[in-house]
Amino acid sequence: MGCQHLEELYELWLLGALSEQGSLDLRDHLGRGCPHCLARLREATETVYLLGLASKPARPHPRVKSELLRHISRKAAPNR
Amino acid sequence: MSEELPAEDLLARVARQDVAALSELYDRYAPRVYGLMAHILPSRDAAEEILQEVFVRLWSESPSLSQEGRSVVAWLVVTAREAAVERLRALRKNAPNVGLQGPSAKTEKGPDLGTRKSKAGVLVPSAAKSLDGKSEAMKPRPADGVKSPAMGSVPLAWLPQPKEITLIDDRLVLLHKAINQLPKPQRQALELAVFGGLRESEIAAEMGEPLGKVRSSLRAAVTFVKHRRRAVCGTWAANI
Repeated sequence: MGCQHLEELYELWLLGALSEQGSLDLRDHLGRGCPHCLARLREATETVYLLGLASKPARPHPRVKSELLRHISRKAAPNR
Repeated sequence: MSEELPAEDLLARVARQDVAALSELYDRYAPRVYGLMAHILPSRDAAEEILQEVFVRLWSESPSLSQEGRSVVAWLVVTAREAAVERLRALRKNAPNVGLQGPSAKTEKGPDLGTRKSKAGVLVPSAAKSLDGKSEAMKPRPADGVKSPAMGSVPLAWLPQPKEITLIDDRLVLLHKAINQLPKPQRQALELAVFGGLRESEIAAEMGEPLGKVRSSLRAAVTFVKHRRRAVCGTWAANI
């Protein structure tokens, strides 16, 4: 089966916006390792990235970074 | 003046357990990721929590991400969005009658995508405010459909390479202008998918439009953005 009918679906699938049937069709097709679809999925991920950047950057509270680095340092410490 | 290290160099250092490199990646990309979290999620606490989770996960997954040579910022944005949408869907499911106040995150530059408002008794992500400034009530509804690829599990091979993301980043203002040219119903449907985490049937209910019309709008919107991206980034020929 060709995959032209899937051409408009990759981005919406990655976004989780497709209906059950649309998702199943795409999943089924991808399960066969279609190289064309793999290339299109890479491109679709770029579009999803671009759409995600449509939100305005915002500065998180400095506490968030402190907590994160404290947590990470604890994880890293046993490996040193 | 010292030149900024490429993000992928920092990622390679993170993969070697370099906390300072993670700190630098955080400084560089946290505003971008947090802006997205604050746009999707109805509370500052939830947005901060997901932001931390995503960077903790970056720490854990940095070896494989670095080895594959994929864009770290693309991974961050795509993973964060998926995590936030999953959280939003869980909130809708578990607290259908709780009104949540949107965060008042300090924002910086960005495209004209509106801000969030919530109403008592409804869960309203920021995307529920349309571009012309009219807020849309987004009532909680149960999740349906097949679980789409949880971004956490998106194969690294699907992620773009750093050079492809650089093309987008360098032309972001132009690309946002192009996105803003979408006809209003298409933009609204796309926003509800991207930031509201809604599926096409839910978007149809939200907009009060027939499902077929919403499907067409979403497909047209995505095709428009994709074609503009190809044209602006100069990748059109390579992708036909």
